[in-house]
Amino acid sequence: MLTAKKSDRALPTLITLLVVGVLLMTFDVRLDGGGVVGVLRTGTQAIVSPLQRLASYAVNPISNALDSLSNVASLREQNAELSAELAESQAALIAMQDQIAKLALLEQLYDLGDGGGQVGRTVANVIGAVDAALIIDKGTSEGVLVGQPVIDTNGYVVGTVTTSSPGSATIVPITAERQGITVQTGSQTGALTSQAFSSEMTLTMVLDVFDAREPVLAGDRVVTSAGSTRYPAGLPVGEILENASPESTSLTTTVRPFVDPETLRLVVVLAWPPDPISAVTDDTVVEETTTTTSGEDTTTTTLPEEDG
Amino acid sequence: MRGRAALVIGLTVVLAVLIQTTLFGRLRIVTPDLVLLIGILLSLTRIRPEAVLGVGFIAGLIVDLLGASLLGLRAVVYTVVAYIAIRTKERAELGRVTIAIWAGVLTFVGVVLLILVGTLFGQVSLLGENAVSRMILVPLANIAAAGLLAPTFVRIVDRDRTALRYP
Repeated sequence: MLTAKKSDRALPTLITLLVVGVLLMTFDVRLDGGGVVGVLRTGTQAIVSPLQRLASYAVNPISNALDSLSNVASLREQNAELSAELAESQAALIAMQDQIAKLALLEQLYDLGDGGGQVGRTVANVIGAVDAALIIDKGTSEGVLVGQPVIDTNGYVVGTVTTSSPGSATIVPITAERQGITVQTGSQTGALTSQAFSSEMTLTMVLDVFDAREPVLAGDRVVTSAGSTRYPAGLPVGEILENASPESTSLTTTVRPFVDPETLRLVVVLAWPPDPISAVTDDTVVEETTTTTSGEDTTTTTLPEEDG
Repeated sequence: MRGRAALVIGLTVVLAVLIQTTLFGRLRIVTPDLVLLIGILLSLTRIRPEAVLGVGFIAGLIVDLLGASLLGLRAVVYTVVAYIAIRTKERAELGRVTIAIWAGVLTFVGVVLLILVGTLFGQVSLLGENAVSRMILVPLANIAAAGLLAPTFVRIVDRDRTALRYP
């Protein structure tokens, strides 16, 4: 079946490279992505990210066109639905503005402020993807650091930053994270983990509630829990797909995340947890970096927030 | 490996990595694994087998470094696939169709190996959802890509206009 020549050195080369590869994997596991491996990743990203940014400018129209072609059948229907949603949202916005005005008046009357609890946000473009990981065009230069949570423009949880170089960063979505995420549905707290071997075309995750007291229903919202060390509490994650009742003291069901990472073009990186020193200092100015993208033009503005 | 060939291969690998991580990384339709395909098609050229293995390893390592999966995972898989390609290329050099099918089979081996080794190291969730459907769709996409690109790629690398010409 296989042909081999005695004189060639392919087999020794293969064995050598396999040994090097396994050593690299062992180092990566042992160092947990840090140390030399982290430096290598950051260095490679720093070199490649400018090229990826250029390439993404060139391929954006192509990928958008191909995406549109694949969705062309549902676009008209979606357009009508979005128009209806927009009208409802505009009505809700007007009602909300009244409430905000009342709230501001009450805060003024009772001398209340927001306590400086606002979290810094960096809006970034998704310029590429490798497997499940997303590559964004903002890095340590813009304050994007490893471990920071990432949400989409609607506020839904996307994932966390795993590596960051000066010009780019890599995000691993919650659907690909190995360690799972502590979430809350109703008054119950559970662990949400990815479903790696799902052969279905739908994106689902598994929710385990180990101290279940009441059933969960399809459509119930799942949000990040205050018990989570990696995400601020209350961020929407997804909705429950199937009704489930407690068996003994535990409960298992499936959850559909609100975010499909493959469709993301813009994400928001949260500077969380906020610096504990600045968070308690009243006169601290929290900077908010906002990037707006229009076609191929990108502008970045840094705005200091008003003190509370 | 001569200087010009090294330059062509280097540029091709960089281009493949860029297209793979930008355009194909964002499309929801069937996409080929271009970097793996480069390693496979290189075995059809006159480049020394050791150099082909080295290119496969480095190309895989670059993709590993850009993603979040285990460092060395793709490097090992791409090297193994390149080795199988070197050892079986005589069976493929019958025509454009056989080369395309051969590349597709090797891609299937690569995707399965990637999932197997990834599972052993607890990395399968990072390789993306729908792993099972990827085992079918990526080889199919690589069959089409190999059918289109293989002869041109080999001619450019070898600087031989007669390479892979079939009656």
